[in-house]
Amino acid sequence: MQLPYPLRINFLVFAATIGGYLFTSAAIIFLSAIVPMDKPDAIVASSLFSFAIYTAAVIWVFVVRDSKRAWLGMLIPTLLLGGAGLLISRMAS
Amino acid sequence: MSELTKPVKEQESFRQAMGWLHTWGGLVASWVLFTIFLTGTIGVFDEDITHWMNPEAAVVSDFDLASMTEQRVDAIKKGQSYLEVNAPDSHSWAIGMPTETEPGIRLFWRDEQNEFQETLLNLKTGEPMSAAENRETEGGHHFVHMHYEFHAGMAGIWLVGFFTMIMLVALISGIIIHKRIFKDFFTFRQKKGQRSWLDGHNASAVLTLPFQLMIAYTGLVIFLSIYMPAGVLANYSNPQQFFSELLDEPMPRPETGVHADVVDLSVLFQRAEVMLGKSARFMRVEHPGDSSAVTKVFGWFDEEDYYGQLLRDETGSVQFDATNGDVMNVIPPGEYDKGTPMAAQRVMRIMHFANFGGYSVRWLYFVMGMAGALMMATGAILFMVKRRQKSLNEFGSQTARVYRVIEVLNIAAISGLAVACISYFWLNRWIPLDITDRATWEIKGFFYVWLVMLFHSACRPATKAWFEQWSIFTLLALLLPVMNLLTTGHWLASYWQAGDWGSVGFELTVLVFGLMSLGLVLFLRRKMVSQVRQPQLKTRSEAVS
Repeated sequence: MQLPYPLRINFLVFAATIGGYLFTSAAIIFLSAIVPMDKPDAIVASSLFSFAIYTAAVIWVFVVRDSKRAWLGMLIPTLLLGGAGLLISRMAS
Repeated sequence: MSELTKPVKEQESFRQAMGWLHTWGGLVASWVLFTIFLTGTIGVFDEDITHWMNPEAAVVSDFDLASMTEQRVDAIKKGQSYLEVNAPDSHSWAIGMPTETEPGIRLFWRDEQNEFQETLLNLKTGEPMSAAENRETEGGHHFVHMHYEFHAGMAGIWLVGFFTMIMLVALISGIIIHKRIFKDFFTFRQKKGQRSWLDGHNASAVLTLPFQLMIAYTGLVIFLSIYMPAGVLANYSNPQQFFSELLDEPMPRPETGVHADVVDLSVLFQRAEVMLGKSARFMRVEHPGDSSAVTKVFGWFDEEDYYGQLLRDETGSVQFDATNGDVMNVIPPGEYDKGTPMAAQRVMRIMHFANFGGYSVRWLYFVMGMAGALMMATGAILFMVKRRQKSLNEFGSQTARVYRVIEVLNIAAISGLAVACISYFWLNRWIPLDITDRATWEIKGFFYVWLVMLFHSACRPATKAWFEQWSIFTLLALLLPVMNLLTTGHWLASYWQAGDWGSVGFELTVLVFGLMSLGLVLFLRRKMVSQVRQPQLKTRSEAVS
């Protein structure tokens, strides 16, 4: 099924801004769980990369250009990375 | 807009998607980003601008409190007694030593309604300074506030962050679509309409690309903990715990509601100076009057002492229980030791603030920042020039209307903002000195002028609107020194004689921009004349190209 053009663009833009932000947040949580530093330092170190990760995620969404694939491509890694990050942090503490 | 979904060969389609992203992302963000860049670039010289905007203060600024212990202690005493009488139920107090641009005891407090308040006390009398010795103005800080929060607090900070992210994306996609990045270093095809705008856009962007990437990224990093809280939220139920572990400082104490007097702050101030082995410059009290009150004294800080240091040393601080004077925490002055990640963040902050190398670094940032503003302006204009020659019909039957809105916003955002900025300096000289909330009126005036420019660009044909707004700017800029002479008696020669290089530099810079704007006005005039001559060739094209 093909959605009308303006709607497809909006879905893409949301996948990039909101999906990308969720993905970036999950990446920070994962990185700060595995970076071998004290917790506060690991959080700052991972967060410093966040804007580069976010930029890459936004660009990726517009390369894919398919809002369904783009959303899945953001949400699945978000769940995996976020879940793994939380799990590792809980186990370590 | 349809080009984004056309099926094309893999390689070309990638570049096309990036082209789409660059064009539309860039356009939507260009007006806001131009505002952020222009005000940020002006804000590089915020202290010099504040100094020019406060001519009365210049007379009393001749002192060096770093080496006058008695006066410092006396300033704390006067500050405390003023705050105890005038702001007893505040959430916080702060007392700062005078600076070159604010030549009085600087007091700040958050009142009962959590509103931020400030005042300046006369060093000798301890009374609020009158208009005759201190002109009430935001000075150059107005531009800095516009730059990072549009005078809109937390909402503004998020807005600036959002658009800065679009800038990063636009920069990266811009690099990808650029096939001949090095050749364009040296390309400028004059008087070729669309090609000239493209070359101008490319040259200003490519030449300064490392700076643009650096300034966008470091700007985002300044508010790292606001923009990207995920790591903290996932690991700490109380973010305060995170900051206290990170910075090795005691947790802030919550308000208890139990009354307790604040001890004599000047005694704590002196003790802190002895413990730090240097003068102190600033003192803050959280929850004064409450039994949870804590005070922190900060070591003296002179920018010049840190020139060339990208990882600036600690200035040192001592924290006391403000109800009994017990020491709670000491951070000695010296090498920064909060770990590598925090050091990296500190370096990025210092790189963004452009205050690590005196005037040479400031001028470098000023030129680079103006190039960034030029990149946004030429990008936004290029968008319209391209479509004025041949409509791309992206919005169907609404296309012409959308183009008109974009054009109006271009004019208001670029020349309209320029007029608002220069008017702000005129307002500083024209608004009566004794009016209440004077500083706020200057800022309101800035926004009103901007709004008038927006209406003006909506009411006039595009080329005429550009021409008229740049004409206004030219007049206001070139006449500024004359107006200053008439209102304050100061002018270039008198600043020169007094060795006031900040003000000399300010007025000369304004004149240079006035002359550049004059060039633009003459260019637009020729444009308008040639348009009148060949009306049938350029129907409805109110071109700036």
